[in-house]
Amino acid sequence: MKDLVDGAMARAMEFQADGGSGEFYRRLAEGRFQSTRCLCCGRTAFPPRPFCPGCGAGEVEWADLPRRGRLHAFTQQGRALRFLRPEVLGLVELEGVGLVLSRIDAPFEALSLGQELEVAFLPVGGGVVLHQFRPV
Amino acid sequence: MARREVALAGGAMSALTKLRALDSFELVRCVVEEALRDAGIPRGEVRSLAVTPPGLAGHSTAMFVSRLAAYLGLPLRSLACLENGGTSGALALRWAMHEVRSGRCPVAVAAGADQRLDTRAEPGETVEAFIDRNVHTTVAVYGPYDGPYGLGAPIPYYAMSAQRYMAETGATPTDLAWAAVRLREHAQGHERAMFRGRTLTVEEVLASEMVCPPLHLADCSQFVSGAAAVVVVAPEVARALNRPPVWLRGLGEYHHPSSFSAGAVDLASFPSVREAAREAYADAGVGPRDLDVAEVYGVFSSTELILCEDLGLFPRGRSGAAFREGRASRGGEVVVDPSGGRLSLGHPACATPLLETLEVLLQLQGRAGARQVPGARLGLVHAEHGMLNGSMVSIWERDA
Repeated sequence: MKDLVDGAMARAMEFQADGGSGEFYRRLAEGRFQSTRCLCCGRTAFPPRPFCPGCGAGEVEWADLPRRGRLHAFTQQGRALRFLRPEVLGLVELEGVGLVLSRIDAPFEALSLGQELEVAFLPVGGGVVLHQFRPV
Repeated sequence: MARREVALAGGAMSALTKLRALDSFELVRCVVEEALRDAGIPRGEVRSLAVTPPGLAGHSTAMFVSRLAAYLGLPLRSLACLENGGTSGALALRWAMHEVRSGRCPVAVAAGADQRLDTRAEPGETVEAFIDRNVHTTVAVYGPYDGPYGLGAPIPYYAMSAQRYMAETGATPTDLAWAAVRLREHAQGHERAMFRGRTLTVEEVLASEMVCPPLHLADCSQFVSGAAAVVVVAPEVARALNRPPVWLRGLGEYHHPSSFSAGAVDLASFPSVREAAREAYADAGVGPRDLDVAEVYGVFSSTELILCEDLGLFPRGRSGAAFREGRASRGGEVVVDPSGGRLSLGHPACATPLLETLEVLLQLQGRAGARQVPGARLGLVHAEHGMLNGSMVSIWERDA
């Protein structure tokens, strides 16, 4: 069953890819937590894109995202159609970038708003690696 | 806009049911025919039909409206199917109004329908196909950045929104519970409300299952199947009808460049609502204090609180107190969701903006029966898509 879900997820991520997600996940699988930075205005976008959503420039480069961020909000999926059974989901605020939805690798009860977290990698099968965050 | 260019002449809704009760063609036909009867307009006078897809997460609905028009047997000068998540019904109405104002179509019908997604496997469907279909739907709706994290519904987003709202304003779980309780009270006056006949207390909300903290089950609306339609007419048609028409007074719309959490900047107050409301109030030349009634697209108790504040009905962080004191119910400053709202009327997402519009139409025509807001003259309808990433607001008035 897990193999079926993993395979379906990998196909769905490819089918629903946008101009940045394929490269984002390729880099994540190589242990690089990166997004695109505009060569014109310097803005780092998340999600990544092959252009700058701020100034519209077409020249961007891949650059490291901050490895640490602050917990902006978090909850727990108690009952849902869960493919990967993440117990805790959160929005992590990366300075200068914005909010990133991720799995939080800690018990719900141990977390508090504003807490500092650090990124880690989460291989989920089917060749897919996601990111997750842990309390520092 | 105080120009009276387009009006609502009548409307109808179907029964709301947990599972689909009719096929999508019959579901829409029934509300379209009933809306025309309500307006007193023969079906042969309809020139434009705008609909939503019959739900967002089911099977392919490509060319739905083409088959629907053939099924109805209606020759039309304008035919469209419009979709943008929760605003779909408002978008169908917007298109119908455009067609009326263009002068080509004096009578237009806007209809929305939603058939509840059946998450079980279908007859003959293999396990592989079933998993594939559900995984693809999830990643399609929530995108390649959020979808893989196992979201089965938008509830976690709204739970995080509620958490931020509570942290930033000091609102309590009891404030959220009041939002649900007062909607349940309103629903007792609506003969087609899903939760008519079932009362709810603050204690019961707080004791209901914790789905995604801080949201309990009773803080969430129930997806249901159902449909609604309204008839939109030009001034010369409106003035010839037996009932006082309800005129469009103002419009506002704003789409923040975000989708659910991707690109979102604020979970405790929504730029799309504030900006769409600002435009609509300016267009109508009225303010929130002038409203008698409002129907808002609050799918969670926390969103009801936030929406009331972003629409300017109550100060920041004060909706909970206003709800508890009855200031958003009959006898209060403005009656918000007299229908019972999404939480207690029921929430067929694609049809919801038209259900809201129908409620405001009935209120402004004095036809809302047991839940009538006495003397209602001016009403607002709000619809949203994503996690409030985009909003549409319309303001309606009846003849003096």
